[in-house]
Parts: sequence; C-alpha cells; structure tokens
Amino acid sequence: MLSLTSRVGLARTSLPIRSSIPLLIRGIKTIPQPPGYIVGTVNDAYVPPKAHKLEGSYHWTSERLVALGLAPLTLAPLLGGTSTLLDSTLSVLVLYHSYTGFQSCIIDYIPKRVYGSLHNYAMYLLTFGTGVAGYGLYKIETSEEGGVSGIVKKIYTA
Amino acid sequence: MLARQGLGLLRQPITSSLLSHSIKLSSTRLVLNRSISTIKASHEKEQELLIAQRKNRPESPHLTIYQPQLTWILSSFHRITGVALAGMFYALTCTYAATSILGISFDSASIVGAFATLPFIIKLGAKAAGAYPFAFHIFNGVRHLVWDFGSQLTIPGVYTTGYIVLAATGLLGTYLAFF
Amino acid sequence: MFRSILRQSRAFNGTTTRNLATATTTSVTPRIKTFKIYRWNPDTPEVEPKMQSYDIDLNHCGPMVLDAILKIKNEQDSTLTFRRSCREGICGSCAMNIGGRNTLACLCRIETDTAKETKIYPLPHMFVVRDLVPDLTHFYKQYKSIQPYLQTENHPADGRENLQSIEDRAKLDGLYECILCACCSTSCPSYWWNQQEYLGPAVLMQAYRWLIDSRDQASRVRKEMLQNSMSLYRCHTIMNCARTCPKGLNPGKAIAEIKKQLAFD
Repeated sequence: MLSLTSRVGLARTSLPIRSSIPLLIRGIKTIPQPPGYIVGTVNDAYVPPKAHKLEGSYHWTSERLVALGLAPLTLAPLLGGTSTLLDSTLSVLVLYHSYTGFQSCIIDYIPKRVYGSLHNYAMYLLTFGTGVAGYGLYKIETSEEGGVSGIVKKIYTA
Repeated sequence: MLARQGLGLLRQPITSSLLSHSIKLSSTRLVLNRSISTIKASHEKEQELLIAQRKNRPESPHLTIYQPQLTWILSSFHRITGVALAGMFYALTCTYAATSILGISFDSASIVGAFATLPFIIKLGAKAAGAYPFAFHIFNGVRHLVWDFGSQLTIPGVYTTGYIVLAATGLLGTYLAFF
Repeated sequence: MFRSILRQSRAFNGTTTRNLATATTTSVTPRIKTFKIYRWNPDTPEVEPKMQSYDIDLNHCGPMVLDAILKIKNEQDSTLTFRRSCREGICGSCAMNIGGRNTLACLCRIETDTAKETKIYPLPHMFVVRDLVPDLTHFYKQYKSIQPYLQTENHPADGRENLQSIEDRAKLDGLYECILCACCSTSCPSYWWNQQEYLGPAVLMQAYRWLIDSRDQASRVRKEMLQNSMSLYRCHTIMNCARTCPKGLNPGKAIAEIKKQLAFD
C-alpha cells in the first residue's frame, strides 16, 4: 500500500540535478521561475509586459530599414566602386545592424526574467563595446584608404 | 480539476464486493488492482498540491530530438554567421580603437603583412571561413527581407528560396574565397 | 459497466475473437515494428525520464500512430499515458513529437519500414505531467491573454447579428481552423527559449485572426498588447510552425502580417 504522499508524487522534493544542463551554466546564479511557468491560477490570463514602442514596432522597423539600406551598399565594394562616404555609411549601418543583432541574442539567450542583472551587464557591455567599435571605425575611416571594405579587400588579395 | 492534472489520490482500496469479484475474474493484462478513490481537499490544498507537483515535472527534450529541417537549420546558420561576422567586425574596429588609445602603431599594412606570411592553405582556409558565412548571411538576409514584406511565406516558398540561397552562397562564397 | 470490462477481458484472453478490418490471414509473416516511447512517472519523480521500447505487429494494427499506441496501452502496458479523443484530427488532444516532428498521432501514418524504430516524445520543451502528456496550462493562459472573442462598441441596429461581407469573412479562412493543438508553438525554437513571455505561433495567429476580423473594434488594444520586445518580436521567422502544422495552416505568415500592420503604428 502506497502512502498518500508517494501516490501524489511528492515523496521526494529534492530532485537530482538534470544532467542536460551544461556544467558551465550550472554555476551561474539564476532567478528561480514559477513552477510550470504558471503565475496565478489556471484561470488567470497571462499578463504581457508593458507596452513600449521603442522595444516593439519602432525597433523592428528600424532594423528592417537598416537591413534594406545595407543590401545595395554591400554590393558597391563587391562590384569594385567605393568611396570614403559610401564605406562610412556602410560601416555605420553594419555597426547598428551588429548591435541590434547582438541585442537580439542577449534577449533570446540571457533573458532578464532568468538572469536579472546579468542581462543588464551583458547589455551594458554590448553598448560599451559598440561605442569603442564606433571610435575604432572613426579611426579607420580617417586613416585607412578605402575604409573597412578596403582593409578586407587588401587581406583577400594578400 | 485535480483528476485532470493526473492527481488520483489513493487512500484505501474500495472493498465493494462487485469490484473485487470482477478483479478476480479478469486474469488479463488489464491491471485493475489499483482502484482509484479520491479524498476531499479544500481549494487551497488542491492548489498547494498542484504547485508542489509542478516543481517535479521534467522538461521534455527539444533541440536534440527535433528533426533537422531546412527551416530552423538555415535560421540557426543565419544567427551563427551573423554573430561570427559581427564579432570579426567588432574585433577589427575595437583593435583600431585600442591601439590608437594606447598609442601603439597599427594599420592595415600590419594585418596584411602578417596575413601574407601565412602558408597558402591556411590563407585559403581563412578566406573561405570569411567568404561563405558572409555570402550566406547576405543572401539569407535578403530572403528575410522578402519575407518581411509578406512574400514567399509559404512552405514551398520557404524551401525554394532556401535552396536558392544555398546555391547562391556556394557560388559567391567560392568566387570570393578562390578568385 | 463492470460487465463490459468482463466481456473485454474475455475478448483479450480468447485471442480468436479479436479481428481488425486491416488484419490479414495468419500465414502472412509478422511485421514487427519497434516503438520507443518517452516515459516519466510523477509518482516516482526521482527516477529520470527514460525511453521504453514496445514491439508491435503491423499486420494486426491500424495504420496510424494513434492506433499503435492505443494497441500498446490495451495489450502491453496499461500505464502508458497520453491524451486522445476524436481520432480524426479535429480535437488536437494527441499532439506529440513523432519521429522528430510535432504532429497529431491520429493523422500520422506509421512508417511501414520495420527496420527503423519510431521514437515518440511529448511536445518539445514543455513540462511533462506524465509520459506523453505535457502541461499546456501556460499555453492556454497565453491564449486567454489575447482576448479571443469578439469585442464591439456599437451593437447592430436591428439588435441581432454582427454581419460581415463575404470578402471579410474570407479573410478568416486559414486562421479560424486552428485547433490549438500546440504543435506549432512547441516546434518553435524561440518559444523553447522564451515561452514564458513570447506568445508563440499558435496564440499569435489567433491574435491576428481577431485583429483582421471586420466586426471587431478592439484592434487598438490588441495591437498595444504586442508592443514590447517579447510578446511578438521574439519571432525570427524560423517557419518551423508552418512546416509542422498538422492542419496545414501558416502561423508564420500570420505573424508577418501582424508585424506589417504594426510596422508604422
């Protein structure tokens, strides 16, 4: 005869650490999530985050506009013709494109609800890195002939 | 609700003569020896039990068991190549920034000079490692832009454009790496 | 009721009485197919989930995977747990991961190559209640959050129906047929990583279904709900959703249409 607790599956509350979690991530402190991801009772609707257009549609639209601009600008150096102005525009757009791409990765894989301040640190680091990269870009465009695409071309023909 | 969540609470076997009779008769693999009965629980108690059970539930397997399909494989390539290319871009620009701040002399000539001294096969490998992800990310990026306008967003469309992207990547990547 | 159990048990004992329409004569060589099925028992939570093998003779089994797992439950292991109801692809209960892709067991043919084994898992990246039964509570709560019902401010003048033109009604085709089986949402990698906040393809397609309904007047609120980084914009157009939908619907396209509507909103 089973006891009441074992029948409802609560005999042991401490479970073995699931071996599927990679060793590296196990050490990082994460925010405990509600069991089954369920907040409130089964009859309460899920409450979405507050509306924030800068993180919503404006962000999405700006990403697409930049990507649209990137397409022809990438073609120019491939077809041979480029100038400092063209290369600077291309590089700045690539910088923004990379920034939003990394941002998307952080939101996907280091979500705030799980990693809390770690998410913020990742975002700060990204913003700082982008600032440094922007300064480096300025240096390249002012000192190097052909800018970034010029450097890449030189490497490929070396 | 408790029963729906898989919570049959067992307290004691039903001693109904009819049921035990039927169990004796059925010598089959139909297992009836664990009769189900329920206990009275308050709403709060039910909630508590449910939450305690949710804590035990394992997560079903996902990435490792899902069938490889063009859809998500190309999408993961897109992200991986994007991160790799953006990483290279940041590495280059941040090196310029750092060397300029620290006052170390550094320009494209030093990179090109270092690259030129490498053995031919390594140079080719490095060029290919840059060219193919670049070509793929460009073409797949265009594919995504087409989708964002609501076009080609059907399964035949997704597969046709996917194969076109792969073919174009092969051509442009090879051209950039080898010619 | 007990009498019917008795009758059933006698039927299992006497092997002669049981014949399926698809069963062939006894001289045919058995076609033994192995099914490997994900098992986890909430009564013993300390035991890790495992895969259990079952052998089935396809000569004595219906053509669909649901027939096979029902046969296993009837004849081999009555503890095997899964949801099923209509057996014809309209209730969405038997959604599971069969051979690596999400589909309804009742609409999925058994792969007849007996050399290959078929693996059956519950829907991916969901909390498992038991064996093949995932906990869909959060999925349903997300569905509830998009207010899946008609909202109007002014009522029809005659006090009767909310009328709609044939063209407007046609816009709902390919959207209203969704049975909320959760195959698409649980095939989406974005939903795997962020299902707490990202609504997922199934729910977003229903959000679109109510957004474009000509009779609905709450579109401002409906759009407002999606204006954050998580609810809608975790969709990266991976398109696993449309690839896996057992009803042949296209949630990816619906999400793209929402994004277009919101683009300059």
